[in-house]
Amino acid sequence: MSADLDVYLAGIRAGDAQAFGAWLAQAEPSLRRGLRSFARQVDVEAVLQEALLRTWQVVPRFEADGKPNGLIRLAQRIAWNLSVSEVRRAKRHPTTDPELLEAGLDEAQRYEPHLPDPLLRETIAQCREKLPPQPQRALEVRLEGEGGVPDATLAERLGMRKNTFLQNIARARKLLLECLERAGVNLQTELA
Amino acid sequence: MSDADEGTLIEEVVGAFRPRDPRSLVPLPAWHDLSPVGREQAYEQSVTMRAIEAALDPNGYSATVRAVLGRIQGA
Repeated sequence: MSADLDVYLAGIRAGDAQAFGAWLAQAEPSLRRGLRSFARQVDVEAVLQEALLRTWQVVPRFEADGKPNGLIRLAQRIAWNLSVSEVRRAKRHPTTDPELLEAGLDEAQRYEPHLPDPLLRETIAQCREKLPPQPQRALEVRLEGEGGVPDATLAERLGMRKNTFLQNIARARKLLLECLERAGVNLQTELA
Repeated sequence: MSDADEGTLIEEVVGAFRPRDPRSLVPLPAWHDLSPVGREQAYEQSVTMRAIEAALDPNGYSATVRAVLGRIQGA
């Protein structure tokens, strides 16, 4: 795995969605961490998805500066500007110390390529198999939805009320994390 | 709001589904209903959830990555 995700740039510029997918898979965790300081003030998931779509739209005009991970830095800037605009648009009083905000951006700039390691993947897959039927089915349907289907629709597919569906998703995550702990993996520590 | 209500709102916000309007950013309605603490919890849990999703996906794609690619390919 390359530390410089700009290796995907030529493919992305050529409109190759698979190349963009490979870039996204490794860039997303760092980009999300960089927005932590805004979590009380903006819907980070909405900002992040919008920033990634805009990155895809502007990439044909993007000129690399010769330093590694130019595209990540562009996406960070887009996400940062979107967050600030959203705070201003909503006229929310900034509740976050500007220095902390800056620290958040700095943290994001310490970019590390990220993909789940094979052992972790295997352990999570084993834990998933051990989930009780309802949480397992709820998680499966959420994954099948690929982030493109509202929870109310996913719940309907399972004949569940939305609240029941969401409770099952929460239970699935809790049980997965407990199973991982028993296997000696603290996912939250690994992600910190 | 009860803890149970806040819990289900958090869970909805942790999910990667977001409505989209090409003219403006659209936060999930549930996000607006969350307390500031609930928003932070939703953020933290989304970090974990995306890692789980990526680990369970053959290409290492989280639901966020899938959602973005879905929009690009459906555009």
